[in-house]
Amino acid sequence: MKILSVIRKSLIEQLRSFWILILTISMAPFFVFVYYLILESYKPQYNLLLLNQDKGIEDFSHETNYGNFLVLAAKSVEQSKIDIPLRVKKIEERIEGMNLLKNRKADALIIIPEDFSECLHNLINKDEIKSIEIEFIGDLTNINYLVSAVWADEILNDYLAQITQRTKLVKVKETSLGLSGKIDEFDLYVPGLLILSIIMLMFSATIAIINEVENKTIIRLKLSKVTAFELLTGISTVQVLVGITAVILTLIVAVWLGFEINGAFAILILISILTSISIIAFSLIIAAITKTANEVLIVGNFPLLLFMFFSGAAFPIKGKELFSIAGYPITVQGFMSPTHAITALKKVLIMNMTLTDIIPEILILVALIIIYFLIGVWLFQLRHMKIV
Amino acid sequence: MKNNYHSVIRLSNLSKRFADVTAVDGLSLDIFKGEVFGFLGPNGAGKTTTINMICGIYPPSEGEILFWDDKGIKKQDIKTLIGICPQENIFWPKLSCEEQLNFVGNMYGMSAKSVKSRSKELLHMLGLEEKSKALASKLSGGMKRRLNLCLALIHDPEILVLDEPEAGLDPQSRILVRNFIKSMAQEKTIILTTHNMDEADRMADRVAIIDHGKLLLVETPEKMKKSIGEGDILEIVLDITDKDDISTITNALRKICDQVKSSADKIIIKSKNLIESVSEITNRIKEHGYIIKEITLRENTLEDVFIYLTGRKLRQ
Repeated sequence: MKILSVIRKSLIEQLRSFWILILTISMAPFFVFVYYLILESYKPQYNLLLLNQDKGIEDFSHETNYGNFLVLAAKSVEQSKIDIPLRVKKIEERIEGMNLLKNRKADALIIIPEDFSECLHNLINKDEIKSIEIEFIGDLTNINYLVSAVWADEILNDYLAQITQRTKLVKVKETSLGLSGKIDEFDLYVPGLLILSIIMLMFSATIAIINEVENKTIIRLKLSKVTAFELLTGISTVQVLVGITAVILTLIVAVWLGFEINGAFAILILISILTSISIIAFSLIIAAITKTANEVLIVGNFPLLLFMFFSGAAFPIKGKELFSIAGYPITVQGFMSPTHAITALKKVLIMNMTLTDIIPEILILVALIIIYFLIGVWLFQLRHMKIV
Repeated sequence: MKNNYHSVIRLSNLSKRFADVTAVDGLSLDIFKGEVFGFLGPNGAGKTTTINMICGIYPPSEGEILFWDDKGIKKQDIKTLIGICPQENIFWPKLSCEEQLNFVGNMYGMSAKSVKSRSKELLHMLGLEEKSKALASKLSGGMKRRLNLCLALIHDPEILVLDEPEAGLDPQSRILVRNFIKSMAQEKTIILTTHNMDEADRMADRVAIIDHGKLLLVETPEKMKKSIGEGDILEIVLDITDKDDISTITNALRKICDQVKSSADKIIIKSKNLIESVSEITNRIKEHGYIIKEITLRENTLEDVFIYLTGRKLRQ
């Protein structure tokens, strides 16, 4: 009964604190939109340059240039595989290619040697095997060069196998894990942004709690028969609802921008509820060390930014492993509950995994909720709820 | 006083220290059932600290508080028995008057039905019926104060603690609140703190004067005024000419009262409980053939009592 009354009262207050509510639930959808725009602007494109120095050979009174065929083969790959952002351009001078590479207008330059046709002709007709030296030029620190070089190597090997009518010694069969082959970079960011929408609860939850202290209404509550558990449960329930609303809004915006929901929706909600509770529990710690909403806005910025940028919510981040529990690695970031929530969501939404696959993350989340709550309730009781 | 001298609250050697400051120092007194008990003292005297200890907001540093002489009374029961109206208006600014009364009532474990009728009754009694749906933050200062009082009473406590109940009230609200407290005093024990002498005098059955955390005196205002201080002052202006000598009548009056002074046409008499001697004094003057032009009686006030006890004015 008392819990229901606290829920009702907190809900009314939350709805009447219009601006805090709007900011809390709209921040992550806004981030999704911004990320989409950024990633669309920076969609990867691998620019491959081909310089054909092949002199060709004269065979039965007509000239054959295998280098030109290779360029055509590369062009056909560009046109046939539209899902691969590969652009092939033929150039005439080495210096032209070097300039394009230096200005980052191209990622790799492949130079077909003068004796390319001759070597191939000898191999096909006389079975003479001589290594063909093909030069790859590019910035080795540039990830785009590496991808372009891999593609160039693939095109070259396919062409050689085809032209010599020989079977490739190695045929690589690539199997994508879950849906990783079908998704783009934007899809990879969405799980983190869904959790970011819950991290934004930190302010609204802390303010909901600290308002009782700032307005001194905590005195009225202390003098009444309500317990700290009933009060915190009531406030937390409303904040969990706000958290789920924020997640659903973020998801709607992500889907609108092309994100495909995979995995069970119920698991997404379960992870959202657990993460919301953990953020509310952490908010209790902030509420314990502050006295006013203004203080929350100042002090709360630090953990908010920490959770946003170091848990992997805003962008993927890899931490140094400190230790492991039953094979589950714990990093420095692992002390922040969103880290595990994001890992779990990626498993569900990207890898299409089930609840049993995310049991370690769920267990760690529950453990962190308990730890945050114990610290938070103890500190809050000590600072704001002490009574005879 | 309507009490049957049954102690509702007993403070025994109660002390409260905050670091080096002793806010309340060895306070011992009884508050009886059905009385309006006032803590009178200047700001910082320890009044609010005392009632905060009574309500359980602060634990005492020393001493004990007994409710109905029962040491074993449960904390949860004390919470139900006491309603506090703090000096500051404490409410939820984003809730309407009705919403917060219902909420606080529920927090005391009242049923939805009883809390609804009780809040309606209180809002009516304190003139807030028309504002029941208004947000607390939108109320005027006087209305906020009245809402504060409603919140203290929602669970119908047996003991009502009012910290400076008339502070910050406009005259209209002051009268309303005063009458309301008086009506409550019929059925509840009321403890109030004030630094306003008139408020204490008008409302309290008994007053405890405290200063620097120490109890100076506990008594009814009437008894205090009659027995402590220099007493009442009577000023009599006589209708006389410059040649008339009033020394004869001055000497005659000295047989009735101790302190009688005269200057030109004025006689000033100071004495405790002087009001009872006024008719005798005027008769004596008339017997001597003098005509009284003007007569002023200033009764001994609680402020005079306070000055007598502390050697300084209340607001010094």
